[in-house]
Amino acid sequence: MNLWRSRKLAWPALLLAFVLIVAACGGDSDDPGADATTTTAADDITTTTAGDTGTTTEGTDAPGTTLAGGDDYCGDAGEGNLIWAHEQEPPDLHLDDPANNLTTTAWARQALLDGLYGITAATTFFPELLAEEAVMTDNGDGTFTGTFVLRDGMVWSDGDDLTADDVKFTFDAIMATVPDTNPDDDIDPADPDNPDRVDPDPELDFPYLIGDRTGYDTITSVEVTSPTEFTITWSAFFGGWKSLFAEVYPSHVFDADPATAAAELNDAFREWTLASGDAIPTSGPMAFESWDRGVAMHFVRNDNYHGSQSPDVENTGIACVSGVDINYVLDTDAQVNSLRSNQAHVIMTQPQTQFTELATDANFTVNPQAGPVWEHWGFNLLNPHLAKPAVREALAHALDKQQVVETLYTPLFGDLLPTAGLGNAYWMSNQPQYLDHQGEAGYGTGDVDAARALLEGAGYVEGADGVYEHPEDGRLTLRVGTTGGNQLRELQQQLIQAQMLLAGIEIMIDNLPGGEYFSVPFGAPVNEAGETNWEITQFAWVGGPWPGGASFSFRTGSGNNPYQYANADFDAKSEECDQIVDEAEAAVCYNELDLFVTTLGPDGESGLIVLPLTQKPSFFAYSNTALSAGAISPDANSAGPIVNVVDYKLAG
Amino acid sequence: MLAYTVRRLFSSVVLLFIGTAVVFGLTSISSNPELLLATCPPTRCGAEFRSEMIQMYQLDKTIPERYVSWLGDAVQGDLGTAVRDGRRPVTEVLGERLPKTLLLAIPAFVLTALIAVALGVYSAVRQYSVGDNALTAFSFIGISMPTFFFGLLLQVFWGVWWQEWTGTRPFYVTGYHNADFMDLVSSLTLPVATLMLVSVAGESRFGRASMLEVINSEYIRTARAKGLPERKVIFHHALRNALIPLVTIWALDFALLLSGSVITETVFAWPGIGSYFLRSITNYDLDPVMAIMVFTAAITIMFNLIADVMYGVLDPRVRYD
Repeated sequence: MNLWRSRKLAWPALLLAFVLIVAACGGDSDDPGADATTTTAADDITTTTAGDTGTTTEGTDAPGTTLAGGDDYCGDAGEGNLIWAHEQEPPDLHLDDPANNLTTTAWARQALLDGLYGITAATTFFPELLAEEAVMTDNGDGTFTGTFVLRDGMVWSDGDDLTADDVKFTFDAIMATVPDTNPDDDIDPADPDNPDRVDPDPELDFPYLIGDRTGYDTITSVEVTSPTEFTITWSAFFGGWKSLFAEVYPSHVFDADPATAAAELNDAFREWTLASGDAIPTSGPMAFESWDRGVAMHFVRNDNYHGSQSPDVENTGIACVSGVDINYVLDTDAQVNSLRSNQAHVIMTQPQTQFTELATDANFTVNPQAGPVWEHWGFNLLNPHLAKPAVREALAHALDKQQVVETLYTPLFGDLLPTAGLGNAYWMSNQPQYLDHQGEAGYGTGDVDAARALLEGAGYVEGADGVYEHPEDGRLTLRVGTTGGNQLRELQQQLIQAQMLLAGIEIMIDNLPGGEYFSVPFGAPVNEAGETNWEITQFAWVGGPWPGGASFSFRTGSGNNPYQYANADFDAKSEECDQIVDEAEAAVCYNELDLFVTTLGPDGESGLIVLPLTQKPSFFAYSNTALSAGAISPDANSAGPIVNVVDYKLAG
Repeated sequence: MLAYTVRRLFSSVVLLFIGTAVVFGLTSISSNPELLLATCPPTRCGAEFRSEMIQMYQLDKTIPERYVSWLGDAVQGDLGTAVRDGRRPVTEVLGERLPKTLLLAIPAFVLTALIAVALGVYSAVRQYSVGDNALTAFSFIGISMPTFFFGLLLQVFWGVWWQEWTGTRPFYVTGYHNADFMDLVSSLTLPVATLMLVSVAGESRFGRASMLEVINSEYIRTARAKGLPERKVIFHHALRNALIPLVTIWALDFALLLSGSVITETVFAWPGIGSYFLRSITNYDLDPVMAIMVFTAAITIMFNLIADVMYGVLDPRVRYD
């Protein structure tokens, strides 16, 4: 025992000394793997200013040198990669593969491929590869021809010319066909009762994996008239024509035969690698470098980039950063910790409550955008209560959107969102065409008296506990459901639940995890009448610069219409809107359509089936110590943190 | 011993067969890949994709039929396709992930064993001392502390606070970095420390109990009575016997570490099997989920067998007939 007493401190001391030596060795380089460090005057914290993955590859030219646009935006920006910590790793980079995770893939590809038109943070189109707005001509025979002019002197990242032939190649690959080897593939075996269960063309298959060819399928010809000029003719006007060719593919690295090229595109897009082993050339500000699955994806600056024409960017030349590292960090708390420890420069996620902490920290810029994703409540018209217009209107009156915005959104995003909330299902509040139809109808203001009067007028009687009851349909209890786990959305539900109770409407919150919610209450009909087991659903849908797609959710018999809404006038009007060539006239038309679904104006019996709540801002933040300039990063399927990557500047 | 080992090997195969059937059944019921279609707009995931999914996962067959088909492929080394990971073979994905899980598991296991034994011996020899009580308190805190909380705490301490205090960041808080050896050590340190916390806390308690039992036995008293130096009594006679019960714990702990620590790998964005398992579940990617579950079952059965055999090898009193 004496031995233990005399040496009791020896081993712990030795161990402690060893730990201290190891810690000191690990710490003397400031940041592990960092290429460069800089000390800021403000807080004397050493920060990473370069890629810290150890696999950074720098561009051939230093930023701030000759830029494509003749711009000197980059100035004395620091050298290194932009590091974005993100939770979702795409399954592959084939955006059109249904097995793909669309948002994260689209966000990554935004830096790689440009399209004819891009989308701004205000959800409008801008000419991206085009030199100017295309001209659409009515041919007088029902067909329409668009005349397009590409920007001069554009080249792919490998130096080959980017021409109108690439646009034609893209179209040919998307629409390429091959003989149908297995016609049964096109029939839905899981839905034998579906009257649409027919193979659209039993003779042919489309080899290119794309879920929706709407708009492409009515193109009758793509004529190349010069390296920068081409025309596209549609058999009938397609209102969403600017949304087509959102990416143009490089023809010079794929087979000339469209069907073979389509198959090659399917293979190459998965790992962004050609059969030769080279990366697919890009037209965006970044070129693909490597992908360490489960860890990170690496892009390198495209020094042949032609410069962005987006009104959102300041830099019209090549990117200032040498590249982009997308580090995959599944846990949102860990993402925030990555950002706070300067191991990442930007995050765009949904940490929500942690976001408040970042918003008040001078070391970070929280720069959200009110993108085209919008939250709403939708009503199932097969429910006996919700079938009554008075009940739907009472819900609209009882809802206090301002309270929702000010309680949940203003602390996080300031005055980014209008306090009146969103009042239109076709246009977003930051789009010039937007009209607050619900506000004009007096909805969304928490008018409890109006709600109560409507309910009593419809035969409801207030019960002893303050909740109304109908003599035939019983207690006015409605279940609201959504995909669980979204904290902000759940808080929103609780807030609205309390608002509705003031008007004598009992709301039961009934959320389920994502897939379960879609398949159980929201998905399959529970009886032969097609009734589904949901009453009110809360979803976030994505709008866009062309709102015509929204009509699919409201058209009679549409597979995407969960509300059971059926109105022949609406159907006719929606077709009419989609045919209007003039954008201003079309905007008016879509606003008229919106009145059907957000008010009882044109359809006093079955209208007012959605209550738009708010747009969903992006949860986007970047480090002020690592970056001297950020970028505008809208939250949309096709945008994301690197859509305007040219604007990011590392601290010098 | 040889007969016993062969017998156990045979029963392990049977057990693994039953285990895979149960796991396959449960996984098929709880992880329906058709839900992938439910979350995908019909305009993208049309009839063609649905048909492909049904064909790929044989959803038109009963679960037993699917199991037989899966087993036939699995014994030939085909564990299916990771649809949500570039449609690559699952074996290829696991081949990438397993070495990274091993990178975490091996140092965590070795360091845990060394530290836990040292703490266990110290606590037993100094029973009811201040040090023993402190280590007991540490053990219970360690056992009680949720792994995700400790992991995030380490991230905040070393990534944020330490940087504010010293201007340096000695360890990566997330990700796998392997530019050089020190880079790798820097990215390993925090996840390994997190894995070690609970294991050290638990194993040191086992070590202490085992050591106490041994040092209170008669042959130790005899050794002391014979005048052997205390160090020799403890390390030569007591420790070797006290380690025997720990072998079982180590075997099971190592099996657990090998099959991937879901929480630790997720919090530290470590690209091992554990984080991939979680990702596959959330993506309704059935084949990888099944493969990892079966791998876990196989590893657990195998290490149980190893533990039993080692027990017989180490303890001459144990005889298998």
